[in-house]
Amino acid sequence: MSDRIIFEDVSKFYGEILGVNRVNLSIPPGITSLVGPNGSGKTTLMNLMTGLVKPSRGRIEVLGYPTDDPENLFKFVGYSTQFDAFPKGLTGFQFIYSYLCLSGMPLQDAERTAWQAIERVNMVDAASRKVAAYSKGMRQRIRLAQALAHNPKVLVLDEPLNGLDPLARSEMIALFRASATEGCYVIISSHILHEVDVISDQVILLSNGYVVAEGQIQTVRSEIQEHPTQILIRCDRPRELAAKLFESEYTIEASIHNDGRGLLLKTRDADRFYLAMNQLALNGLQIESIAPADDDVLSVYEYLIGNEEVVR
Amino acid sequence: MTRLWWTQVKAVIRLELKKTFFAKRGLWIYAVAALPVLLFIAYAVAMSHEQHRTTEIARDGERRLAYQDLLAIKPGMTKQEVAAILGKPPLVFHWTERRPTGPNSTEEILHEDLHYSDGQNDLYLGLANGKVQSINIHEGYNLGEDAIMFAGVFQFFFLRLAIFFGCLGIFMNLFRGEVLDRSLHFYFLAPIRREVLMAGKFLAGLLATCTIFVTSELLQTIAFLWHFNPQTRDLYLYHNHGLEHAAVYVGVTFLACIGYGAFFLVAGMLFRNPIIPAAAVLIWEGINPFLPALLKQFSVIYYLKSLCPVEIPVSPGTPGLFALFISNADPVSPPLAIVGILVVALLALFVSSVQVRRMEINYTSE
Ligand SMILES: Nc1ncnc2c1ncn2[C@@H]1O[C@H](COP(=O)(O)OP(=O)(O)OP(=O)(O)O)[C@@H](O)[C@H]1O
Ligand SMILES: [Mg+2]
Repeated sequence: MSDRIIFEDVSKFYGEILGVNRVNLSIPPGITSLVGPNGSGKTTLMNLMTGLVKPSRGRIEVLGYPTDDPENLFKFVGYSTQFDAFPKGLTGFQFIYSYLCLSGMPLQDAERTAWQAIERVNMVDAASRKVAAYSKGMRQRIRLAQALAHNPKVLVLDEPLNGLDPLARSEMIALFRASATEGCYVIISSHILHEVDVISDQVILLSNGYVVAEGQIQTVRSEIQEHPTQILIRCDRPRELAAKLFESEYTIEASIHNDGRGLLLKTRDADRFYLAMNQLALNGLQIESIAPADDDVLSVYEYLIGNEEVVR
Repeated sequence: MTRLWWTQVKAVIRLELKKTFFAKRGLWIYAVAALPVLLFIAYAVAMSHEQHRTTEIARDGERRLAYQDLLAIKPGMTKQEVAAILGKPPLVFHWTERRPTGPNSTEEILHEDLHYSDGQNDLYLGLANGKVQSINIHEGYNLGEDAIMFAGVFQFFFLRLAIFFGCLGIFMNLFRGEVLDRSLHFYFLAPIRREVLMAGKFLAGLLATCTIFVTSELLQTIAFLWHFNPQTRDLYLYHNHGLEHAAVYVGVTFLACIGYGAFFLVAGMLFRNPIIPAAAVLIWEGINPFLPALLKQFSVIYYLKSLCPVEIPVSPGTPGLFALFISNADPVSPPLAIVGILVVALLALFVSSVQVRRMEINYTSE
């Protein structure tokens, strides 16, 4: 019996389209944030975790249970999705109540439990109104109530803070923290790192379907800052240039192009590299072009962390 | 475990019933179910109108006639001979016809139509120049003919079209409707086996279709019997297997809902567009009489047809293919037919239970 949420070499393709690729994760209790821009695979990862989609490759296990056994899985998993559609014609209360009834709970228990969940998300006043007439934030909260209703050990929440006002936001965050303190697994997604970094015990950064960094927030931060930058340089004397650059300790690796007129450089400190390059150019080196080779990953980090925090 | 499943099935049914009975998409199903009822009501109204006239003519006649009297008239009798038996006709139409007999000559023929009645049956006599030429007896209650008409409407409209499309409308949408609404994940996130969910949805669909179509079937029977006078009705119900037939029709309706329901439940999971499977099944069921014996068995109509209590006779002039379509060439015995339908339905349910386990939520949030 495992006490983790485990992804083993998991890939998901929607036909030709990549959802996530080669994901290996082992998620411990506490608040875990999935962070990445739109289309990076957050929802896909959550859908995989809850069996709504099946992996094209690899294996997923939630606290030792396979994800294709909903009868057992959802006894301890609650999922608040990003899907904004509800079964037709239900009120907020009926939505939670019928969800609980589906689990086979006796009707009186279901009613009582439903009201408790509605109270936890502060929706008592609106609970007898039709969900169709709810505002975005209210729909968000009633979905949250559904995920919480049966007190699951694993809470999977897709962008749960989206559409909430600041007050509701801090209430919900308090709720997540409380659950985490009780030993629950709270998995939340967001596309803004600073929205969740203070509350998260660990973060998983996603980009284009890949996990690009993972771990405790401090580790991830420094990993990002120390992430080597790759730079492509076209010049007349690459060997000489490489030798010069290796004099400084921030250069990690350099490989000369086959045609002998360029090199790919890995550096730990792009800013100092550019300074050094300026110096070398002044010394008569013929430089055709300099361009960052992995703009993609870099821009993702910038986007996630916010420009001012990226120290290079 | 089974107790839990049953509780869950009931919860699914409660949630589904509103959708299966009152979905805006499904209101046309009521219209389709009501159509044969309206047809029989219209027929009954027409028949009782005619009946009313027949009684009037009998009353207006010179003598009270018996059925035997109507039968006594033979071709070639003169108007006087007819009047001697039946009295002065209560209703006469006449006209003259000028018929050319040569280039310049014409012959004048006096036509007379006499209408007699014994209160239930009509006798139409056509006379030419005072001699009986044609005799038509129209029986007021032709139970045999009416029962065949009922059987025809049942087999060719109610079973093949009304229940067929009704089941299509309700069962196809059990899963597909929620995929289109993007709300299926609600069910998939509950701690319930997908198969149990499927069973619940199937039963909800069955409850709706059976209620709608069995009610329709009963109303049709009532409308059908409405215009008969009480004696004829009793004769039909208690001595001519009428009651038995009515019960069998209800049973066949029930089985049809199970069979087609299971069929369309799978179709709704396998196809996005309902037109394709609907057309395919309709054609498959339509060509059933022409298939080899083995293939015939994978059909719903094959068994249903064998269960229908009244066989529809093929009139001699019917073209071969069409006759084959109407007739039931190699019927199966009722117990076998019932088992056959249930096996076909179980097969379909098995496929859909495999399919429902494989289902993924493929819609996105936008
Ligand atoms: N049902 C689907 N069919 C086809 N492609 C899909 C489907 N769902 C997701 N994708 C693709 O998979 C990739 C990851 O999508 P996903 O929804 O997981 O991203 P996300 O991180 O949740 O984005 P967002 O912040 O917009 O919610 C995207 O390229 C998306 O286009
Ligand atoms: Mg998403």
